[in-house]
Amino acid sequence: MAEITDISNDFIRQEIEEYIERPEERERNINLFARARPKMQEIAAALIDGDNDTVNRLTREALDSGIEALEVMDDGLIAGMGIVGIKFRQNFIFVPEVLACARAMKAGMAHIEPILSAAGIEPVGKVIMGTVKGDLHDIGKNLCIMMLRGSGFEVIDLGVDTAPDRFIEAVEEHDALLLGMSALLSTTMPNMGKTIEAFIDADLRDKVKIMVGGAPVTQEFADDMGADGYGKDALACVATAKKLLGVVAKTRA
Amino acid sequence: MGTGAKSAGQMTSRQRVMAALRREPVDRTPVCNPTSVATVELMDLADAPFPEACREPESMARLAATGYTELGFDTIMPVYTIIQESSALGCKIQWEQKDNWPTVKMREPIWEKPEDIKIPSNLLTHSDTKCVLDAIRILRKEFGDEVAIIGKTMGPWSLGYHCFGVEQFLLMSLDDPGKTKLCLEKLKEATVQFGLAQIEAGADALTLPDHATGDLVSAEYYERYLRDLHIEFVERIPAPLILHICGRTVDRMDYIAQTGMAAFHYDSKNEPAESMGVVRSRISLVGNINNPETLFSKGPEQVRKEVYKNLDAGVQLVGPECAIPLQTAIENLKEIPLAVRDWHREHATTN
Ligand code: B12
Ligand SMILES: [Zn+2]
Repeated sequence: MAEITDISNDFIRQEIEEYIERPEERERNINLFARARPKMQEIAAALIDGDNDTVNRLTREALDSGIEALEVMDDGLIAGMGIVGIKFRQNFIFVPEVLACARAMKAGMAHIEPILSAAGIEPVGKVIMGTVKGDLHDIGKNLCIMMLRGSGFEVIDLGVDTAPDRFIEAVEEHDALLLGMSALLSTTMPNMGKTIEAFIDADLRDKVKIMVGGAPVTQEFADDMGADGYGKDALACVATAKKLLGVVAKTRA
Repeated sequence: MGTGAKSAGQMTSRQRVMAALRREPVDRTPVCNPTSVATVELMDLADAPFPEACREPESMARLAATGYTELGFDTIMPVYTIIQESSALGCKIQWEQKDNWPTVKMREPIWEKPEDIKIPSNLLTHSDTKCVLDAIRILRKEFGDEVAIIGKTMGPWSLGYHCFGVEQFLLMSLDDPGKTKLCLEKLKEATVQFGLAQIEAGADALTLPDHATGDLVSAEYYERYLRDLHIEFVERIPAPLILHICGRTVDRMDYIAQTGMAAFHYDSKNEPAESMGVVRSRISLVGNINNPETLFSKGPEQVRKEVYKNLDAGVQLVGPECAIPLQTAIENLKEIPLAVRDWHREHATTN
């Protein structure tokens, strides 16, 4: 069992002290950062700070010094994004700050992705995400995508106003096992059910797991429309994705 | 004449609304929706379906009138979308069908930096803004001064989402506050121009949506970027203004109350009593019947409960929290004025 004092990076220590209140999340993060190298903690700190230039530079330096791409991703970028997700859920930070962190994540991943794909390392899973037909709200969906990517998933983003056919095409084209749909309007929520029916009609329902979310969607609605999973926020989206794909918990739950 | 007029007390609907916006005594609390009251059922009744009712003045006015004649609200509000002026600014619009609201294609932003912002000379003559002005004229002529007619002009923050794309705009706000302020300074002229034109056309008050909500940005953001601009709107636009921000806002209501706006249209994510405690009669509150869970999914009983909760807290104007979901049952909407009357009857002795 690690202690918070085992974490060498001041910034990370403060972040955990100040923002992470749930005991199990505190413990998980303390354990994670206590065993991460100082350089990884630095990357995570820059990411949490939304500083894409520093993340860009430190990631390059870390890789050049011989640290494995997977380690940089897991202990630096993904670990940092985990704290960002919690701060957002608890309203310590808001959408602009999360967007800046996601931009920093992207700057780091730009160095890591080519190495992983050249080495044939598979992402944790592949997810198709989109906002349903008639709905143009995408902020929440995009945050989910950032957190999914920030947890090692490959995500194909179909954007907004997505017709059932486009969801079907994408699932087939990318051989994806998981689909996520977002809706923010009561007028468009039924389009989730319609999309699920379209998958049944196309004889594809058994091939793909479907999760749904968005402010007006509840677990009850999700069950009624025949979805496999529901998530209340971006962290829950990642947890649901992992559960549905049977991903074994790696660094984070 | 509709139900709204028949059951009025000593005051006309218009007098009641205008008084409540000034926090002056009323014969009963007015029922008001400063955002869209359109539903599919009302579209059928008025033979004014979307998207025509958003683009054609006669149709727009016919649908709006149902808020008063069918539902018994004390206001008429003809602007169902948040995109009329964005369309005039040059944004691409997806007009949709009867069963959905039109929207801006924010994936195709028209501007990137402050220098790009140009308020076109046809802002008020473009068919999608002119439609609103003409509809207000039609309604004023038809209803005289019996009912309050509310217009709507979008604030610069929301216009920023539309013209720059939400994510781009929010990132700019973090990266470069100076640039963001410059954008708001330029965009605010559209807000003022469209607002003044609606008053000239006959609007009694204006809704001013500016989505700096707690679901997206911090309270400090509201203070930094918008409070002073909103104060300026109060100075420059000579009619009561109703600020609309849906979502969580109780953390910024103190700043909002400092603007001098007549009213704040607030969302059910904020408790009526707590909100009233924060604004302390510096601004009237309008709201906050929940849309998706109550008006859309539940029945009159739950609607009544939420109306009572607002009245018990002393909220000055009662109504839905935001644009009413299009598939909402009329029965639920009619319950709002009925519940208001009953509450006042029950509390008559103490008044
Ligand atoms: C921002 C906003 C807008 C922006 C949208 C910008 C954009 N690109 O997304 C603008 C101003 C353009 C807009 C337009 C409209 N809006 Co709007 N909007 C909002 C607002 C204020 C916040 C939504 C938001 O982004 N929240 C922040 C994000 C982070 O939260 P979230 O989306 O819920 O996502 C989280 C979770 O739900 C979950 N999640 C989301 N998707 C998924 C998917 C999966 C698979 C999983 C597991 C989880 C998950 O994780 C996310 C992160 O934590 C809400 C009010 C509110 N408080 O909800 C109204 C609201 C959604 N809008 C509403 C309305 C009515 C409209 C308009 C119709 C207004 C009009 N008259 O034209 C138009 C509709 C346009 C259209 N056809 O889509 C109503 C909808 C009512 C209803 N249920 O029918 C709301 C609820 C306001 C209200 N109180 O009534 N809106
Ligand atoms: Zn709203």
